[in-house]
Amino acid sequence: MRLDVRSVPYRAGESVTRLVWLVGIVLLTSEGTDVPPTLLLAGGVVAVVALSAGYHALYYRRFTYDLGDQTFDIRSGILSRRSREIPYRRIQNVDIAANPVQRALGIAEVRLETAGGSATEATLRFVARGEASRLQDELGRRTRNGTHDPTDERESATRDDSEPLYAITMRELLLLGFVSVDLRVVSFLSVSIPLLAPSLGDVLGPTRPLLVQLSPITLGIGGVLVLYTVAALVGGAVAVSNYYGFRLTRAHEELRYERGLLQRFSGTIPLEKVQSLAIKANVLARIIGYGSLAVVTAGYAPGEGGSQSAVPFAEGDRVRTLAQSIEPFEDPEYVRPPKRARLRYGIRYGVVALGVVGLAYTLVAFTPLTGAWWGTLVLLPAVPVAAHATWSARGYAVQDDYVLARNGYLVQREVVVPYHRIQTVATTASVFQRRRRLATLVVDTAGSGGHGGQDARAVDIDADVADDLRETVERRMHAAVAERREQFHRERTESLREEPSASGTRDEPSGPRTDPV
Amino acid sequence: MTAVDGNADQTAERSPSTAERAAPDETLRSLDPRVRYVWAMQALVAAAIFGALAGGVAYVVDPDYLWVGGLVFVGVGTLTVGLALARYRVWRYQVRSDSLFLHRGVLTRVRTVVPYVRIQHVDSNRGPVERVAGLATVVVYTAGSRGADVTIPGLTPEQAEALQERLKRLAIVAEGEDAV
Repeated sequence: MRLDVRSVPYRAGESVTRLVWLVGIVLLTSEGTDVPPTLLLAGGVVAVVALSAGYHALYYRRFTYDLGDQTFDIRSGILSRRSREIPYRRIQNVDIAANPVQRALGIAEVRLETAGGSATEATLRFVARGEASRLQDELGRRTRNGTHDPTDERESATRDDSEPLYAITMRELLLLGFVSVDLRVVSFLSVSIPLLAPSLGDVLGPTRPLLVQLSPITLGIGGVLVLYTVAALVGGAVAVSNYYGFRLTRAHEELRYERGLLQRFSGTIPLEKVQSLAIKANVLARIIGYGSLAVVTAGYAPGEGGSQSAVPFAEGDRVRTLAQSIEPFEDPEYVRPPKRARLRYGIRYGVVALGVVGLAYTLVAFTPLTGAWWGTLVLLPAVPVAAHATWSARGYAVQDDYVLARNGYLVQREVVVPYHRIQTVATTASVFQRRRRLATLVVDTAGSGGHGGQDARAVDIDADVADDLRETVERRMHAAVAERREQFHRERTESLREEPSASGTRDEPSGPRTDPV
Repeated sequence: MTAVDGNADQTAERSPSTAERAAPDETLRSLDPRVRYVWAMQALVAAAIFGALAGGVAYVVDPDYLWVGGLVFVGVGTLTVGLALARYRVWRYQVRSDSLFLHRGVLTRVRTVVPYVRIQHVDSNRGPVERVAGLATVVVYTAGSRGADVTIPGLTPEQAEALQERLKRLAIVAEGEDAV
């Protein structure tokens, strides 16, 4: 099958607009030469348009894709030809994206994610809207079955019998905007503004008489409020454009979402591929009782985390219920770290606070900057509060089928990991942790958020407990994997017995376990 | 890349004998002592670079202060060589019946368990300094987000090859469901 013909003018237009700056350079540099610049320019533009149209027409001619029996095949390339076969079983996510121009043209981009490599495995630029949805349905079905099985044709009506799970309301969308402000920035500013405000007054010169009337503190608070409002408005705009019309549905062991105001996204998450769940809520969201849920698969490269958000914003209970409908874990009773960990945070924050005070004092004493350096002393009474907050937010829970960990006060993150998804288990203990006989248990999965801290981590638990847990979690992981394997073989033999004719395709090995690149 | 291929039926047939052959002896092993020289060498090279930089800067400021470079070299060298020796003393690995266990780290102690079911492939590397010392490194890859972290340095080439072979076999015996 070919891409959509409309992709040729779109792609050509795209690459021509990318060269617009060249025209600008020519315009600027060609002044004073003999050749009339307009003529030169017109010729250049025509040549570029013709070249890029030709290139993209060739690209279109060379690009074919095909839904094979076991694999999705793509042949592409003008100078160097590339032929790829992606086993259906290896496909993690199928995403569709369309920006306003593409939507007007009725085309969309389809992306296939696999666990191997860091980039998107395959991109179809572009196919018709209807074809994109068809591919998403069809690939989803074959990913679940691992092969093309004609007897399963009845399942192809996925879109009709899907069960809606969640749709964002306008109110939730706006609330999401107002709470999705980066709190660390705000708290940093609320300390630094009282310090610098008087100096700012100096810099601003003419307005000084007005500023002098305001005390540094009121100015600081006012400044924070203004900044927060601006940040919230920006956050709200981003949230609205990203999550407008968010809908999550479930059909045939697959989650499917749609979102976006200008650029529309739609993606699938096969439940079979779910590595872990992350429930996130910052302190503002927790105050009004809201949270978000992310479903982590191995498909996305680090940094692309946003696109796997399953529920961007909903009441805490609802988030938990939805999470439990995906992975049936029990309501966790978190075990907090021992109290000596809290002492550790107190010391750590105390050192930081003293450092800030010292820095502020040094700045005021030895540089032309003036300001209320003593304003930073407000940090000192905040130290024990912050230490307690950090301590109380941490916790872990070891259940029969899941291990859970919770961390972070400003942004709280609960990670739910099924045992059979665990890749490695480790305990780490830094010098400072060892002094207090503490350690951190790290449960690693193939989820892609490793760098973003999506691992389940039980931080600062007793060192002996950590060692025990490491062994326990490993044992349970082996048991869970063995059980899954048995179930898999049982299902397979049953299906073989039922349809002996299908054994020819079903009996294939499930493929090499190395990354399918 | 050693593909760990899993045809269910074949594995079921050959697993008893393979399991016997691959029966791991579960002693906690330390690395080959020669790895200390490799690490000390690397530490000294780093210290020499630091020393040369510091010496250069000091020389530009005032030619009389060239000795600062030497001081930095000795200071950094002592520290890093000490760390390298401590690293050797801490390092242990254990080939257990169903997982690989590593214990390492001077400042931050790390104990890692890598179940064989999760091994994607096993590499063995030999860097230039290692080749001179007659040593090799085994790298175990999992699909985890910190997969490439699992390295065992300081093995003799024979040990490395044997370990690589054994881990590969154990991974096949432990063939699990599809990793991801």
